[in-house]
Amino acid sequence: MNKTKPLTVRVSRYDPATDDAPRYETYTVDANEGARVLHVLHAIHDDLDPSLSYRYCCGSGQCGSCAVRVNGEPALACMKEAEDGMTVEPLNLPVIKDLTVDLAPLLDRLAAPATAADAQLPTKEEIEAIKPLRDCIECLSCVSECPAIKVAEFLGPTHMRQEMRIALDPRCTDDRIEKAIEEGLFTCTTCQRCVQVCPKEIRTPGKAIEKLREIANRKGLTLPRHVEVANLVRDTGRSVVRTEATFLEQVPEVIEPDAPVRGEVGFFVGCMYNGRVPQNALDMIEVMKRNGIRVIVPHDQVCCGSPLIRTGQTWVLEALKKKNIAAFESRGIATVMTMCAGCGSTLKNDYDTPFEVKDVSEILTEYGIEPPAKLDLRATYHDPCHLLRGQGISAQPRELLRMAVKEFVEMPNQCCGAGGGVRSGLPEEAAALGKLRDEEIRKTGAEIVVTICPFCEFHISENTDRPVKNICSVLLEGYREKDRRKGH
Amino acid sequence: MHADDVVRCHVLVIGSGGAGARAAVEAAAYGETVMISKTLIGKGGCTTMAEGGYNAVLRELDGCPMHVEDTLRGGAFLNDTALVDALVTEAPARMADLVRWGAVFDVTDDGQVAQRPFGGQRFPRTCYAGDRTGHEMMMTLAERLRASPVEHLQEMTVIELLRDGDRVSGAVALDRRGEMVVICADATVLATGGGTQVYDISTNSAAGTGDGYALGYRAGAELVDMEMVQFHPTGAVYPYDARGRLITEAVRGEGGILVNAAGERFMHRYDPDRMELSTRDVVARAIATEVLEGRGTVHGGVYLDVTHLSPETIEERLPIMLEQFLQFGVDIRTQPMEVAPTAHHLMGGLRITPEATTTIPGLFACGEVTGGVHGANRLGGNALADTQVFGKRAGESAGRAPVRAHSVDIAQVDAQYDRLDAFFEGTAPPSTITDRLKLAMWRDAGIFRTGAGLRSLAATLTELSAEKPKASGPANLLECCTVENMLVLSSLIVSGALLRRESRGAHVRTDLETAWPPEASPFGHTYQSIRGKGIEGVRP
Repeated sequence: MNKTKPLTVRVSRYDPATDDAPRYETYTVDANEGARVLHVLHAIHDDLDPSLSYRYCCGSGQCGSCAVRVNGEPALACMKEAEDGMTVEPLNLPVIKDLTVDLAPLLDRLAAPATAADAQLPTKEEIEAIKPLRDCIECLSCVSECPAIKVAEFLGPTHMRQEMRIALDPRCTDDRIEKAIEEGLFTCTTCQRCVQVCPKEIRTPGKAIEKLREIANRKGLTLPRHVEVANLVRDTGRSVVRTEATFLEQVPEVIEPDAPVRGEVGFFVGCMYNGRVPQNALDMIEVMKRNGIRVIVPHDQVCCGSPLIRTGQTWVLEALKKKNIAAFESRGIATVMTMCAGCGSTLKNDYDTPFEVKDVSEILTEYGIEPPAKLDLRATYHDPCHLLRGQGISAQPRELLRMAVKEFVEMPNQCCGAGGGVRSGLPEEAAALGKLRDEEIRKTGAEIVVTICPFCEFHISENTDRPVKNICSVLLEGYREKDRRKGH
Repeated sequence: MHADDVVRCHVLVIGSGGAGARAAVEAAAYGETVMISKTLIGKGGCTTMAEGGYNAVLRELDGCPMHVEDTLRGGAFLNDTALVDALVTEAPARMADLVRWGAVFDVTDDGQVAQRPFGGQRFPRTCYAGDRTGHEMMMTLAERLRASPVEHLQEMTVIELLRDGDRVSGAVALDRRGEMVVICADATVLATGGGTQVYDISTNSAAGTGDGYALGYRAGAELVDMEMVQFHPTGAVYPYDARGRLITEAVRGEGGILVNAAGERFMHRYDPDRMELSTRDVVARAIATEVLEGRGTVHGGVYLDVTHLSPETIEERLPIMLEQFLQFGVDIRTQPMEVAPTAHHLMGGLRITPEATTTIPGLFACGEVTGGVHGANRLGGNALADTQVFGKRAGESAGRAPVRAHSVDIAQVDAQYDRLDAFFEGTAPPSTITDRLKLAMWRDAGIFRTGAGLRSLAATLTELSAEKPKASGPANLLECCTVENMLVLSSLIVSGALLRRESRGAHVRTDLETAWPPEASPFGHTYQSIRGKGIEGVRP
């Protein structure tokens, strides 16, 4: 037997022809067990308010007509299970009415391939390479959430997916790489938000954007600043220029803890913590020492290659991978800790490592740490893209931060603009995204911003007047404060 | 209405699914082509939802005569042989078009389009792109359309065909806000797809409300075999609101087995030779019988099981099925699916020639809205082929139609204003009419039919047609037009079912003895138009 239950939902209503701004209406409907969001919208339309506008068609997740935001996150209304108290809003795209957004102009700009009149069937390998890019149902959730589009000339993630689909297909005769660059290929920060909201989980940054950037690289179309970085890595093994004593120059290979040894990790330092902001890494070492974790730092490690992968310059990559894996494997290290979200994501997703890779926040929460004194501060946390979406880590940093400050406030997550080579290649776009972060930071009223990514730390601090700190530095301050209070 | 609200073109294509898109691509070579669609291009219709595949003779061991014979046998010999010949002969060439245009079909290790077995066919001739074959075709056609000069009128719905004397000369449509648009054309192609949304349990997209049958009928076209409704054997039964959702025949093509609630593989009782890969009419009746006789699951279905296949096979060949069921809490790699029949496809429709002309001048038709290609039961994989073969033929025929002077008969447009105005004075919310319609159709025009049930259903349809659908605002006018279309379609199905006093293919009259095998049936097509109806008696 079919059971029904009452659901109360909030729906955004807006008619741009007559209304100044969207408003929310609350409706209560009887929904069948297992009802999807779409069925609740049907019930509202049929029984309560026939003026509600929403788009739908296939009802089985295949046509991409019905994407809306449910509690802020894009979802296909026909597949997402309805829940009591949910809020349903249109995608972040121009609204035609209520939940119906204007998709047609964006769909019209998807590239149309030109194929040869005598085009032959591709091989199985060629077909298999294209297939993952072909699952797209063009719901445009990715476009609606892409941060780059807000501040730069970028058609959108699915438009890049389409460009790569064409580039991979031997039947397509035209070389469109310059077109893809015009459409904004280099504006993507590889924040992975598009992957997160894609109902088909298409990995557009990795499968399309970085691959298109490789094609651009082979044609000599890489941004000049990115070429400089690649040459630097080739010549020095590092993506940043040495300006002061590096982290590796300041520490021994094995750092014994002060407390009894509870564990041991190898530390993959990364170029930024090594050469640009070594103090943060030194702070982390103090936290490890205090908590009984031995840190082994192979000095022959080099750049992970992330800046090269993100910008399509993979020609140096294999040598880097080999060197880094050997550096840790030869020392018998079972767990490698990263502190840079970008390095961590790269080692986890782009490497095939004989050891386990964990972020510093995973290590600290798994071992459990001595509680620091709570600093008398209101703090907010910025999720680094390569930690949140690249590694699926969000709870651990918050758990640590709550131990270290008196008040923790959330802010909506969005890319700060530092990733994907955008900070170096298109600094104006990066700054514009940084400013958007500053606006959110201000809304929280936080006195400090905490994060765990050297790129985010560096970039956000350039765009806000609040101090931006690494979680390890905050923990260390907490320990010092604890010691100070004890001393008194 | 102002003069500048009139769109003029050489060819008007109504519908943007597989058949409409193919027709528009073809027609564009002959002159200005407008494609009007009640959905966004590529998102409407049922092609994009079609999962399993496209039948085409591609291998030396296969042959067109065998495909023809499978199609006729599957269709209980009610098919028009000339249409079947066209379908079978041209399906490979239309597949080649798609491949040339960039379609990403699965290929074999030795570099041929991959094919899988489907029900009722003696050769594995069903080409596929995983279980998103129709979606792949729509992606390809949409790419082709974007590169073409075809003008798109999206989210605009035709509510009536315009006539100039006895010929069709364009159409009247409503946009999203309920504003009227008039389109004049030298030739009009009806490619509006199917209409099993008139049933309570249906695989069709929301667009499958049978608009084209009603438009064609009101304009004077003849329709054939409207009683022939295919119930797909395997639709979802849970959750309630997703009941009817298609579970592709590819599941059985890949080796899925049907098991009743007692754990018995039951198809040996219904078709011991072909088992699960029997034709859809047979498998649907088998499942319905198991459930009726008390061997169904609590949700009123049977089990469809692929757990004996390797997880990798399921992930590669049936990714959409896997993904959809996971959303509803079932992992088909380790758990069986629960399935029951669901209204899927209308074999009947506008009578066409192999050139896709209808019985009225100026009007062409292709795809599911036509009748005669599939007879009394369609083979899985023949519909996608149908969209391409007859889509191209319709586009070409329409394109070759002579250029004419366009004139709009204001009286016909005014009649539409009057029709719409009446909806503002209506009393019944459209959904209250369609809810009752769907339940009544499912009960009395379903898999098993009787004369008494059909007559009582006809009376219900008369009652429902007397209700006055109510539009609470201009944007709701369209829903009222749609209700009218659904009622017209339902009446055509019921009249056809009463006209056909035999069981044949998908049409089963349990109150009548059928004393002949289908190939020896004394009956031909049922036919209906505003001028009259009847059944052809080809063998007196």
